[in-house]
Amino acid sequence: MVTIDLSRTDITTANTRIRDCGRDRQDVEIINPDARHNIGVGLVEPITVRVRGSAGYFCGGLSDSAHYEIEHNAGWAVGDNIYSGSVVVGGNAGAIAGVAIRGAEIVVRGNMGSRAGQVMKAGTLCCGGNAAFMAGYMMYGGRIIVLGDAAAKVGQDMSAGEIFVGGKIESLGNDTMIVDMEPGERDDIMAFLERYKLNYKGDFTKIINAGKKLRYANQEPRARPQPFFVSSNSNNYWNPKVQEDIWIKGEVGRYRIRGYGASKPVPHLNDIAFVKDVTAVHYKPEDLKDINLKTTIGGRYGAKPLSLSMPVMIAPMSFGALSRSVKIALARASRLSGISENTGEGGMLDEARAEADQLIFQCLSGRLGWNVKDMQRADAIEIYISQGAKPGLGGQLMAKKVTPELAAIRGIPVGIDLRSPSRHPDVLGADDLVIKVQEFREATMHKVPLGIKMGAGRVNDDIKIAYKDGFDFVELDGLQGSTGAASTEVLENVGIPTLSAVQEAVDGLKEINAGDDMDLVMMGGIKDGVDVVKMLALGADCTSVGTSAIIAGGCIACMQCHVGTCPVGIATQDKVHEARYDIDLQSQNIHRYFESLRWQIASITKALGYDDVHRVNRDDLVALTPEAADITGLPLLSEHPALHKPELGLEVLNRKAG
Amino acid sequence: MCGIAGVLYKQAGNHDIGKTLIDMLDGCQHRGPDSTGFALYGEDKDLLQLRFIVPTEETARNLAQENIATLLARHGATIKSEQSVGCSYQIAVDFDGDLLAFTRDVEDHAKLVSVGHTLDIIKDDGTAHELDAIYHVGEVRGTHGIGHVRLATESAVRPEAAHPFWATGFEDIAIVHNGQITNYWKMRRRLERRKFAFHTDNDSELVAVYLADKLAQGETLDSVLETAIADLDGTFSFLVSTPTQIGYAKDNLAAKPMVLFETDDMIAIASEEVSLNRLFPGQSINSSEPAPGTFHTWSRSI
Ligand code: SF4
Repeated sequence: MVTIDLSRTDITTANTRIRDCGRDRQDVEIINPDARHNIGVGLVEPITVRVRGSAGYFCGGLSDSAHYEIEHNAGWAVGDNIYSGSVVVGGNAGAIAGVAIRGAEIVVRGNMGSRAGQVMKAGTLCCGGNAAFMAGYMMYGGRIIVLGDAAAKVGQDMSAGEIFVGGKIESLGNDTMIVDMEPGERDDIMAFLERYKLNYKGDFTKIINAGKKLRYANQEPRARPQPFFVSSNSNNYWNPKVQEDIWIKGEVGRYRIRGYGASKPVPHLNDIAFVKDVTAVHYKPEDLKDINLKTTIGGRYGAKPLSLSMPVMIAPMSFGALSRSVKIALARASRLSGISENTGEGGMLDEARAEADQLIFQCLSGRLGWNVKDMQRADAIEIYISQGAKPGLGGQLMAKKVTPELAAIRGIPVGIDLRSPSRHPDVLGADDLVIKVQEFREATMHKVPLGIKMGAGRVNDDIKIAYKDGFDFVELDGLQGSTGAASTEVLENVGIPTLSAVQEAVDGLKEINAGDDMDLVMMGGIKDGVDVVKMLALGADCTSVGTSAIIAGGCIACMQCHVGTCPVGIATQDKVHEARYDIDLQSQNIHRYFESLRWQIASITKALGYDDVHRVNRDDLVALTPEAADITGLPLLSEHPALHKPELGLEVLNRKAG
Repeated sequence: MCGIAGVLYKQAGNHDIGKTLIDMLDGCQHRGPDSTGFALYGEDKDLLQLRFIVPTEETARNLAQENIATLLARHGATIKSEQSVGCSYQIAVDFDGDLLAFTRDVEDHAKLVSVGHTLDIIKDDGTAHELDAIYHVGEVRGTHGIGHVRLATESAVRPEAAHPFWATGFEDIAIVHNGQITNYWKMRRRLERRKFAFHTDNDSELVAVYLADKLAQGETLDSVLETAIADLDGTFSFLVSTPTQIGYAKDNLAAKPMVLFETDDMIAIASEEVSLNRLFPGQSINSSEPAPGTFHTWSRSI
């Protein structure tokens, strides 16, 4: 046994030593823990870590097959997301004990704080004392055993799993019910208690999900698709898409759900132009080989940055919203073009990992498919707070797409209308997020960049929080960002346009003198290399493309992504539909589309007079509309001081804009 | 977006409150690296103690201090002692007029951050240890105090936006708060109608004014905290201190952390156990986490 004294060892050094001990199969004893955070995080070896005292937040979190014995208390989120192994807490545990566990055994001998077992998927969370309010909140599976009393709202919004309470139950949560125990269940529990030497002779009340809210009562009818151009092209009130919406609402009696992003016109990159007439210049590829497009993302704190061949990433899109085949095609195209792919919500596919050279692994509030092993094989980690299509809401996946295969990787019941939580269980403010960031760093040995994905809302505030909380990069998604499924009203109306978002972000960072060490990746309606260069000139370091990559790979913009029967096999989990998707062909199409971006980005950079795309700047831009000028602070074309210099070619632009 | 800490020694006397709070806040400084603040309760002084935030640049500071002197003279308050330290100007005055009218006027013209016969609020940009180096917080002795570390999100990083907040118009009351009051404007408009002035957009200032107003109407600290939980919307854990008491209130959603530890001699409350454990290094303590929607108060012996 190796002893580590936390009064003289910082937590990163301690965790490195714990991992070394794991490889040597040596148990570890932690002395003077004094409730420090992140003890033993990221351990994936079957050793025992004994904490001689109290532990802080996330003790034993993001681990697999290890055992932890905490003599006294544990802070928030003890055993966060453990895959297998065990944690025994001798005293009390703070809020969200056993959050998002995937199969471990967690025993708290004393009381546990609120929201214990939130979004847990499997395994057992057992409490010898009382459980504070909302035990089993949003759980997807596994069992919670409470020997004492349970406070209000037991099992609130649970989808599956079982909760057994020995003592009094203050009240039941939404959509739960009390049922009789199955034969053998009590014996199982007793054997478990015996194993952990918990003495209990009394009875249990068993609580499960009542199944009334797992599916929308009224399903969306099969409508003749009104594609994106129908809904976005005409700005009149009662266009066919609006009519369709109203008819269908008349049928289902609720908000509608659809795929894609906002279709209403908002100020965008089309409303700004380059000061120089870049259209006059025509370059051949060989003229462009000295133009630097290389982009590194995420080096702020010394992690190995993503190294992109151009300032473009693939946007986060889940296996779930998209079929396996599409995720493979995207991963392959990302490798062929030297850029990065992103898992989105819902776990990492082995095939996608193998295909992509650089893969970002995304962590969402429901922790669906989230696990330490995939974290440790990712090239970057990204915490999702929200997205441009639906800021403030979690992911949504309609039942048709929740197949057994998909449910298994996410750790959820098959065939529910999955509405992921809108908040992270352990991030209820910028202050908690600091500790979460530290946990992720510990789990990945500080080696991979850590990013945050945000939908554009209060960007000016949020970007400062991202900076102060120590992220390496921000992926910021404007109103136009797309999704696989969201309510129409939210898609169209919540959030601010990408153009406003980038400006607020740049201004916000300037206000706190942040310098440029945190990288800003902008997304939401980026359709070509022209948009990429404009974004960089406005102050972004990189862009990411989702919808355009999907369209390059065969999407016909019918906006039926939520239905699960995508006609071209993209937004589907149905094998028959997916079979229509030709991975080889479409990965090449996507790759060629990326190469067209590369050529455009390089050409414009050269035409603007630079040999490095990262040197383009605001002076290269002019606003074409008063709205775009107001949003960005760029000069309006008609008021531009250089307007009367014909050598700048502004007449050309002016004629076009006019 | 912050961390909070509070300590109260049950026996009256000269306890090491400054050092205790520095340790506790240093323990949770990761929750708020931008600014730090202390509300410390020492002996009951005859003179009214005021602390203002003033510019650090000399000419501006002199001007601000002259203005303050003129203001005070207008209200018949005579300065008996004065001291400039860090970003603050600390004075003791002889004053026995209407405190509410006095502070309302003074606050309109100067950044008054602490008023009381026992209370002193020290706050500035920087960490607990950085403040200690300037203000010698570690030397302060007394019976109880509360403290705060802040990560500025919505409001700017300025010393006056740091916590604790004194309850404008009412001496010797301070609060620290972790969370977000979502019915801020609704509550603020109601208090403004009743002639309370707000000097920041910080929701914690609202909590201070809200509590002070109720206390001034003669309610007990317990009943004030009880109504606060019902009236304030959002996520919060806050601490309040009076010349003899310290108390907490926690929102109904238990969204912000708070743990406490009580012995026969003292009570310590903090956002995280790591702060409590700073007071008992190498030992395990029997801390507890208050239930959602609860409050509690403790008094020192008089
Ligand atoms: S083709 Fe498929 S991916 Fe494209 S909009 Fe239609 S359903 Fe969605």
